Amino acid sequence: MTLSNPPNQEHGHQSHNLTGFIIFLCSESVIFLAFFSGYALLKTSALNWLPVGVEGLEVHAPLINTIVLVSSSGTIYLAERFKAKENMALFRGFWLLSMAMGAYFLYGQYVEWSGLKFGFTSGTFGGTFYLLTGFHGLHVATGIGLMGLMLVKSFIPGNYVGGEQGVEATSLFWHFVDVIWIILFLLIYVWQ
Amino acid sequence: MTNAPPSSIKLPAVVGLALAVGGLIVLSWWMGQQAYHWLPVQASTAAPLVDGLFSFETALGTFVFGGVSAVMLWVIVMHRADKYDESDAVPIEGNTKLEVIWTVIPLVVVMGIAVYAMRVGETLGSVGPMEHIHLAQPAEDQGGYPGDRLPAEQIEVVARQWSWEFRYPGAKVSSTELHLAVDQPVTFRLVSEDVIHGFYIPAFRLKQDVIPGRAINFNLTPTREGRYRLRDSQFSGTWFAANQADVVVESLDTYQQWLKQSASQPLQAGISDAVQQYEDRKKLKSPGWATVVPAPPPQVNVPGSNTLPHDA
Amino acid sequence: MTSASFPPNYGHPEEGSWRRYFTFNTDAKVIGIQYIVLAFFYFMIGGLLAMIIRGELITPEADLVDRTVYNGIYTMHGTIMLFLFIFPVLNGLNNLLIPTMIGAPDMAFPRLNAVAFWLVPIFGTLLIASFFVPGGPAYSGWWSYPPVSIQNPLGHFVNGQGLWLTAVALSGVSSIMGAVNFVTTILRMRAPGMGFFRMPIFCWTALAAQSLQLIGLPALTGGAVMLLMDLTFGTSFYEPEGGGDPVLYQHFFWFYSHPAVYVIILPVFGIFSELFPVYSRKPLFGYVYVAVASFLIVGLGLVVWVHHIFPSGVAQWMRNFFMFSTMLIAVPTGVKVFAWLGTIWRGKLRLTTPMLFCLGGLFNFVFAGVTGIMLATVPVDIHVSNTYFVVGHFHYVIYGAAVMGIFAAIYHWFPKFTGRMPYEGLGKVHFLLTFVGANLNFLPMHPLGLMGMPRRVSSYDPEFAFWNVLASLGAFLLGVSIIPFLLNMLSSWVRGDKASANPWNAIGLEWLLPSPPAEDNFGENVPTVIARPYGYGTGLPLVENQTAYEQALQEA
Repeated sequence: MTLSNPPNQEHGHQSHNLTGFIIFLCSESVIFLAFFSGYALLKTSALNWLPVGVEGLEVHAPLINTIVLVSSSGTIYLAERFKAKENMALFRGFWLLSMAMGAYFLYGQYVEWSGLKFGFTSGTFGGTFYLLTGFHGLHVATGIGLMGLMLVKSFIPGNYVGGEQGVEATSLFWHFVDVIWIILFLLIYVWQ
Repeated sequence: MTNAPPSSIKLPAVVGLALAVGGLIVLSWWMGQQAYHWLPVQASTAAPLVDGLFSFETALGTFVFGGVSAVMLWVIVMHRADKYDESDAVPIEGNTKLEVIWTVIPLVVVMGIAVYAMRVGETLGSVGPMEHIHLAQPAEDQGGYPGDRLPAEQIEVVARQWSWEFRYPGAKVSSTELHLAVDQPVTFRLVSEDVIHGFYIPAFRLKQDVIPGRAINFNLTPTREGRYRLRDSQFSGTWFAANQADVVVESLDTYQQWLKQSASQPLQAGISDAVQQYEDRKKLKSPGWATVVPAPPPQVNVPGSNTLPHDA
Repeated sequence: MTSASFPPNYGHPEEGSWRRYFTFNTDAKVIGIQYIVLAFFYFMIGGLLAMIIRGELITPEADLVDRTVYNGIYTMHGTIMLFLFIFPVLNGLNNLLIPTMIGAPDMAFPRLNAVAFWLVPIFGTLLIASFFVPGGPAYSGWWSYPPVSIQNPLGHFVNGQGLWLTAVALSGVSSIMGAVNFVTTILRMRAPGMGFFRMPIFCWTALAAQSLQLIGLPALTGGAVMLLMDLTFGTSFYEPEGGGDPVLYQHFFWFYSHPAVYVIILPVFGIFSELFPVYSRKPLFGYVYVAVASFLIVGLGLVVWVHHIFPSGVAQWMRNFFMFSTMLIAVPTGVKVFAWLGTIWRGKLRLTTPMLFCLGGLFNFVFAGVTGIMLATVPVDIHVSNTYFVVGHFHYVIYGAAVMGIFAAIYHWFPKFTGRMPYEGLGKVHFLLTFVGANLNFLPMHPLGLMGMPRRVSSYDPEFAFWNVLASLGAFLLGVSIIPFLLNMLSSWVRGDKASANPWNAIGLEWLLPSPPAEDNFGENVPTVIARPYGYGTGLPLVENQTAYEQALQEA
């Protein structure tokens, strides 16, 4: 009679990566929550919220950006479905499309920033606006980078033998970034 | 298998336990009384309430801490393994009834204390509205000090790095020594011109942080004549520890006399120990690390003193 | 019948030399020792700073060091003790104990583990370097409240406060890496048969504490990032002139820093829960209740933070709400305290060094709990907040309970992870000096606070002198108490008696491993757990084929 080992110890640590990543994402969401609540508190208690000469934020272009970004969650989901059906061409196609949509979002953010009449140090409004959109943008850029890495790795033969946790984690991260943006959009652009 | 006889607790144990608990109750009550001596004199209406709550908590705490310590001492003395005894003790793994008891009783006790404390807080009613304001602008820009627009009974307290200025708008008096009339309720308006300070008068048992960008209303009623310390209680930089002023509580007549006399005094530099210490420090070869420069001492009618003996 | 076969270097001391402790090594047992030794190095620095503080405070005037120096020193004392001593040392214990207690070969993410450790000397160096930049180190206490913390008198881009914020941010990154690792390991790598309610309490409290890190740290990071922006780039999140609110920082800060105290004490609760059964030869009383109470503390610990800022710019309704929530924490904490009493009651106590530290720690903890109840009630807190009463309270918890618990753990598990027995006599001397020193140092702080002596002061009114002298004497005694500890650790590791696999005759998976364990612990032969922990007196085995394991350990 031999002593048996639990299965996860035979696969080594590979099977735990997604668990760890999900735990990390939950923790990361708290930092956004902290910034969101800071924004809300400062806005509601401010004597003069908007800087002098600023009437409010233009919503039209950011709305387009939002639609693009949220749709990219759809395209990345489609990419994963194609991969599950082992259609690598369509997987890579929709994956790349998602990256492009993310890049468009970042470009749109840059255009918006350059047209704004207030800066990082223009009172609490300026500070929180750039902090929130900037920190989020950093996450979008990271997501695009991760997607690029996954795209490159998809060409390596035998890459998915141990599982597809990299792809799963990256797409989870992308959905996370999208949800954060939706809340951000409501908070900053809708609630004015 | 024989049944053990129904567990009857022996009489000496019951008596001993009753005596111990009784003794602990007496000790707890006594400690509660002692607690009053650990506090400064009671000089405001808040003090007896705060002290009463603290005394109650001391008595309760003595009972709990004493009880736990007594149990530990008993166990250490009476339940030690014999020198070469390596065997295990009785494998008691728990007792649900006991768990319930020592969950429910503490729950009831702490909620009771919280309710008592909430009532005390309501009676104190010390802290008022905390409106956000624009930071103090130079007086010329605003057409006079904010204090000029306060109701006559209010005293404006201006905290700075590192001095306390007290303004009496009704009487047009300013000082770096706080004068109050005994048994007269007073409302302060606390403002800071730079960083957060703490307005703390231990004899009154009251404290309120002074937040720059806000004007905080704060109420109290002094009840004992004497000279007391006001100490900055929220770390405010290099000379934080030296940011102390005196509070003089006097009869209404004396107080009003002081106001009348002070109004005619010309403005002069008020108390700010930091200013002199900063100058002394500049003469040293290696004074230390960087420091914010102290604000100039406030110009006041009456500087007062902060070196006379104080009651608390 | 197959007997358990152990890995080749079983029974002999670890082959690796002392040099591996200075490398990027991914074995959790090496990383654990690295954390602990580094932490005590910083403990000495923080302790030296404490000696200077108490040296200044033994007389009323600010006559030992300049006030700016005093302020930098007390700030760095707190910062070093928290971020460079207590959190790293607890992570060290996590690394040693979690895999071995649950029968795992290592942590879930060994390389992440090593990265998390090596961040510590990096941000530690940053922090120590801040003593040497123009202007000196951060000087506004370990809280760094704005506006005073960001006044930056010299106006330099690189300044003590900026280095402080960067170091604390890196510390947060390191801690979150660790937390992801510990939580994943506990959730996913337990031995067969070890359901949650067969897991040792140390793992329960580690899981609870690390969950708090995951939830709370990002809030601190967010608040600190905003402070760094205000300091360095002129934003005004907390500056009233720009419309900011200094109290907002306080909320961010304490939203993490209150749970942080549970991150500190929960593992110590775990240590007490592990050690009292061993040294009383009795099961832990009410194991399930103790386990569940850990998570009640987590939940409640997240909704009490305003009790640190009752006198600040917070409204009365908020003070009342948080007073009630704070009071509730006493209940699950009480459940644990009573459980320990129930464990030692009618036990067969052995007053070894670890047990003495646990008993002393429990005694100090209950006292701190009593003053904690006082602090929870708003009217009393208004009087004593920001005074030495609070300093006394938290040092009773941190030194009197947590540090003593950590010492208990070190003496208890020293044989397991070094393969040597510590000297018992020196251990008892260490205990005595610590217990007396801690009480002498921190008890006098309570009357000082009640009389109205504020904290963080570099000078005080003469009426406070008597208790300050006593406190300073206690502090110097604590300084001396470290000597027998260091002597013991060094000489025992080098030339202590060889330790058997289970010198304390304890029940637990780690005691079914040789001392020290092989690099992959149980390797291929992970035991199957068949009972709850702490089965003292029941005569039941903890794992299947237990006698086979014990036999193999004997034969080595």
